[in-house]
Amino acid sequence: MQSKQTQTQTQGNQDQNFHWSFSPDGHYNEAYDKLGLPRAHWEYLLDSINALGSSGLQDRYQKASRILRDDGATYNLISDPLGKNTWELDPIPMLISSDEWSLIEQGLIERAELLNLVLKDIYGPQELIRQGIIPPEIIYSHPGFLRQCKGITMPGEHSLILHATDMTRGPDGNMIIIGDRTQAPSGAGYALENRTVLSRVIPSLFRDSQVHRLALFFQSLRATLSSLSPTPGDDPQIVILSPGAYSETYFEHTHLSNYLGYPLVQGSDLTVRDGHVWLKSLNGLRKVDVILRRVDDIYCDPVELKSDSYLGIPGLVEVVRAGNVVVSNPLGSGILETPALLKFLPAISQHFFGHNLKLPSVDTWWCGDPQDMLYIKDNIDSLIIKPAMRQAKSPSIHGHTLSESDKKNVLARIEKAPYNFVAQSYISPSYIPAWQEQQLKTRPSIFRTFTVATESTYAVMSGGLTRVGLSGQDSFVSNQVGSQSKDTWILASEPEKQLSLVEDRSIAQESNLPSRVVENLFWLGRYAERAESTIRLIRTVFMQLNSIDPLPEASKKLLLQALSKQTNCLPGFTGSPALLNQDQELINLILDTQRPDSIKSCLLSVLTCSEEVKEMLSADTHRIVNDLRDNLYDLERAYVGGMPSAPEETLDPLVTTLLALSGLSHESMLRGIGWKFQEIGRRVERSLQTSRLIQSLLTPELAQTDQPQMLEAVLLSVEALITFRRRYRTYNDIAHGLELLMLDETNPRSVFFQIKRLQAHFEELPQAVSPQKPGLNPAQKAIIKSLNGIQLADLDNLAKVDSQSKKRIALDNLLNEVRAQVEEFSTLLSEQYFDHSAGPQQLAETQEIISI
Amino acid sequence: MIYKIRHITEYKYHSPVSLCYNQAHLLPRDTLEQNCAPSNVVITPKPNYMAQHSDYFGNHYVYFSLQKPHTKLVIDVTTEINSQNERAAFALELGISCKAAREMLMYNQDPDTIQAKEYILDSPMIRPNTALKAYAEALFQDDIPLLSAARALTTKIFNDFKYDPSSTTVATPLDEVLQRKSGVCQDFAHIAIGCLRALGYPARYVSGYLETLPPPGQEKLVGADASHAWFAIYSPGEGWFEFDPTNDDIPKEQHITTAWGRDYSDVTPLKGVIFDGGNSHQLSVSVDVRRLEQ
Repeated sequence: MQSKQTQTQTQGNQDQNFHWSFSPDGHYNEAYDKLGLPRAHWEYLLDSINALGSSGLQDRYQKASRILRDDGATYNLISDPLGKNTWELDPIPMLISSDEWSLIEQGLIERAELLNLVLKDIYGPQELIRQGIIPPEIIYSHPGFLRQCKGITMPGEHSLILHATDMTRGPDGNMIIIGDRTQAPSGAGYALENRTVLSRVIPSLFRDSQVHRLALFFQSLRATLSSLSPTPGDDPQIVILSPGAYSETYFEHTHLSNYLGYPLVQGSDLTVRDGHVWLKSLNGLRKVDVILRRVDDIYCDPVELKSDSYLGIPGLVEVVRAGNVVVSNPLGSGILETPALLKFLPAISQHFFGHNLKLPSVDTWWCGDPQDMLYIKDNIDSLIIKPAMRQAKSPSIHGHTLSESDKKNVLARIEKAPYNFVAQSYISPSYIPAWQEQQLKTRPSIFRTFTVATESTYAVMSGGLTRVGLSGQDSFVSNQVGSQSKDTWILASEPEKQLSLVEDRSIAQESNLPSRVVENLFWLGRYAERAESTIRLIRTVFMQLNSIDPLPEASKKLLLQALSKQTNCLPGFTGSPALLNQDQELINLILDTQRPDSIKSCLLSVLTCSEEVKEMLSADTHRIVNDLRDNLYDLERAYVGGMPSAPEETLDPLVTTLLALSGLSHESMLRGIGWKFQEIGRRVERSLQTSRLIQSLLTPELAQTDQPQMLEAVLLSVEALITFRRRYRTYNDIAHGLELLMLDETNPRSVFFQIKRLQAHFEELPQAVSPQKPGLNPAQKAIIKSLNGIQLADLDNLAKVDSQSKKRIALDNLLNEVRAQVEEFSTLLSEQYFDHSAGPQQLAETQEIISI
Repeated sequence: MIYKIRHITEYKYHSPVSLCYNQAHLLPRDTLEQNCAPSNVVITPKPNYMAQHSDYFGNHYVYFSLQKPHTKLVIDVTTEINSQNERAAFALELGISCKAAREMLMYNQDPDTIQAKEYILDSPMIRPNTALKAYAEALFQDDIPLLSAARALTTKIFNDFKYDPSSTTVATPLDEVLQRKSGVCQDFAHIAIGCLRALGYPARYVSGYLETLPPPGQEKLVGADASHAWFAIYSPGEGWFEFDPTNDDIPKEQHITTAWGRDYSDVTPLKGVIFDGGNSHQLSVSVDVRRLEQ
């Protein structure tokens, strides 16, 4: 069983021919026959790989990794915005000949038809149980059997819409199915991404190999989902329901949303009213017809299913029951994933079809059967024990790895609830050439297929997702424990005509954007701007502190205090200086995530928001977001040993990246609603930050000689110093500074400019002006007030210091007003456009009052 | 006997509830021994959506939702029921033995017997264990008729457990009830079901009402009745038989069935989800079981 790997490829010689034809004993090799000769359908690919050589393959591998990263293709294992695992793609595809594929395809269609009948029976008459074909315990004790869904039917012939199988090739070369995915099968989107990337990385090889296209599968999926709509005729509203950005397959949800043209929503984006499901969009509620579900069924409705779920839509099951919305796969379909069912599939197939299935499943014993249990006890060394319910937290147990006492414990655990366990025979998976660690290796592989219901039958994706292990040991190959993926090529006997969804797909209408999405874009804008202005200020502080002209104490104090105020980290430098280590506090303002608006906190919020709206961002934006993640990582390392020399330089890359982010949204984002909200977020934040900065640094009186330096600091940190010098060569007084910083309509960093832009963007939003209430909206009023306040202000008066308070009182008052008005605008905007419903809570259960 | 049953549930919330979705298992079902006229359901304020369905177990329930802010919700259900006076008396001593019942459950291919095995398995609120098994094991000797054993278990629970509404809530785990030896009717039904399942017999939970009669010479008070619960055991080939451990009795015409399921959680009188409403509310329930004619 252990791999006795023979690897004859020598390192260092790049252009030699590869020979990696040997796989461990007892395993089938995908590419080579027993004599070590290439299999016919692999010849062309193997020749081409030889021609590429090591450096060529490594080059293709890196290129693929880059594209995947730019596309934001991730598979998340942990909920950490910095911990994205890029999807791993091997540049060498898995190949299946067209003759073999047609047999597999027929087998998969037959299997899907059978599981469909099982699903209908379990939630219908239960004849399979009543006639003794399936033991009742398998269904009745399974938490995925949702009694609430009994009697719910799907329109059309099929209840099972999407079906995925995992299969591997046994030692004799025949494909064996090791599991079914019927809950919310994942992987089709990754298969699509793999294909897109690989066809770019090895274009001519792909073209010449006559590979079956994947687009047909997705066309069938779209046609089927449309046909499920309870209101046929119209253009149905179809949405993809995702658990959210921290779901491990979230990339796939965003990818499918874009490819299929359906809005990506989370449970809280939907609401049940008047017996229908509605999308809370910017333009109000839009009726939803079909939900493509990527949330496990028991989480879908806290009213009738898991009561503490926050991922679902309260009331959904009843809408489904009433036939007013269709969920695919239907609620309750997860029961088909139980591995215990595999044992009974032959008998079920006999019952429904009168013959056996074309594609065999792995040999399975059910611990609830006393006969099977005897077998398991005697043969545990060669078996894999699995829970009959698929759960992430209960992995399979490999019998041969157990000590004698472990075996006893495992058997004792089984005896407690035997019907909750199965045993499966171990299949030696086939091995396949794989590019890993810059070498060709031979690795175990499993293959996932995808099937979708059509009007009268099922359509199988001509391809799929192959995953290979990262070591020569073949016990585990799955994404949960880290593995590499391969594109899978079904080789056509003749060229196929090009098909893609891109041309005919309807772009999801912008007005149907969920409120959550625009809210995240708004905050993306705000956090990006907040991060940028804080970085600029702290950079200025570093420069001033380390300047050759020593900073006067009063100015220094003012600058540090401004920093504490700007980052909301009070008291900080406004408190007693004795209590504070200056360097440490500065580092904390950069990196401490416990500080509300430290640079790192702001940037993490940027990353989180961008993850939430991933499907709205372009590939270039993904690249910049990735850069931001890298910059942040570098930044942390720069401060590992305390304050570095020239600390301001550590911040430069971040400023550049943030500028690229805002530049890109300007240059390449459609001027739609999403863009406007992002812009509004930026402008709100910049007006607030600039006002606060002026207030902290320019309202207190300083010595005549120190004032110019402080003005320069402010101008520097809002990037207006050069303009100022050019324009007012000889003046460096406050009044001129304030003119540029506050009033100048042409300075894109002036406060007036920000608010003017806010006014323009706001008026273009849907329903900014209500036909029922003519006149100005309260948010508009707040803006106009602040515009007027700034315009009517007298510069000399603003610059004048009040002799009693030693402050520029008029300036202070004006800035207080402006800040309050912008805050008010922001609040009114969010009340009008964002969703504020609190989460659901359970009605306390009725306490029984008892009669005696 | 014809009964008229009125069951009023009233919620008062601390602050307005903006949205709610509810499921009410308050509509009595037809059984072999009782026939129900359609229930009259009045919900105030008027729901935006309301529907009646049958659930997995064949019980009737009302589903309703409200989307106007409200601080008070009243569900008022009235049903007329004809409960048969004459019931086929079953002889406890006849019928199959415990051993025969277990063997039939194991080997019998009768579809109804196979399906009844659902009620041997764990359910959300009842997970049989060795303590429950030990409590009842001695009563279920191989050659004892199954139904006499179930009757004996009913008496044993009645004798051993103290009726005390303050000792438990709907959330008290079964183990704790068994240790404390006190609780209310639903606890006693759960204990009996847990024992039977631990021993391998199918058992289910029955919710309903029990008519109470005032002391002689006194007028019956309106709203003084209450909902009630008991259990049923499945005897292979013979069907379901009901027992009431709270009253050490076999249910008769005064026991009116609302619904049954694996345990209380399948037939919770009212459950649902609310939005807003603050953190506190007041609940009051009034039940009235009234004889219309003999």
